[in-house]
Amino acid sequence: MYEFLETNSMYVVLLIVLIIWIGIFGYLKSMDKQIKNLETKE
Amino acid sequence: MNTFYKYAVFLIISLVIVAGIVLPIPNIPALGDKARVLYFHVPMSWISVVAFVMSLWYAVRFLKSKEISYDIKSFSAAQLGFLFCILATATGSLWAKFNWGSFWNWDPRQTSIFILLLIYGAYFALRSAIDAEEQKARLSSVYAIIAGITMPFFIFIMPRLVETLHPDPIINNSGKINMDTSMLIIFLTSLLGFTLLFLWVMNLKTRLEMLKYRKSLKQAQ
Repeated sequence: MYEFLETNSMYVVLLIVLIIWIGIFGYLKSMDKQIKNLETKE
Repeated sequence: MNTFYKYAVFLIISLVIVAGIVLPIPNIPALGDKARVLYFHVPMSWISVVAFVMSLWYAVRFLKSKEISYDIKSFSAAQLGFLFCILATATGSLWAKFNWGSFWNWDPRQTSIFILLLIYGAYFALRSAIDAEEQKARLSSVYAIIAGITMPFFIFIMPRLVETLHPDPIINNSGKINMDTSMLIIFLTSLLGFTLLFLWVMNLKTRLEMLKYRKSLKQAQ
């Protein structure tokens, strides 16, 4: 496992960064939707 | 902001992440693979500059028109500028750990960004210290203008006046860009992607602050 992480460290970093970015994007999308809902309720 | 815009931002930044991390880069003396940080660190600084300039611009417009929406935009831009400034500091600091040996060295670049963070930290302290909406908007707009005027000095001028270990800026002192073409393409795409992301988040933040403001007006009635 340790050897795998050491030889593929770039891909591990890539995977982690992509997961974080997808999380941020999803959060922003859901926030956009919630704000739109609040605006239409007003 | 329409759905196409959001997915375009997603796609551009995803491409930058994949290309920035995986694609090979030319050997840069003393930097090596650590040079990849510029795809993320420089756009963070760039966006904080854009945001602080926007904050200054809306502050001026508020003082001219007294329209509260401009103050809300100025405040939102300052908040996002502060956030991206912290991100620029954090990415720079991580890079410094692996290149200079420690996270913080009080290098002129680090010192100037730290002072900038303090200046905008004081802006938020000022806003939170005043309850009356109009007075808060007026005073903080004046402060946002003063802070915005000092910003270019701390980001562009001060680090160039004194000796620094920080690598040359993208546009170096002789006014040229010394970067490999493939790196330059990824870097410019990154700038575009993060700028579009900033505009989207700015839109969300402004709408949210407007909702909060209207709610506080309703409660006051």
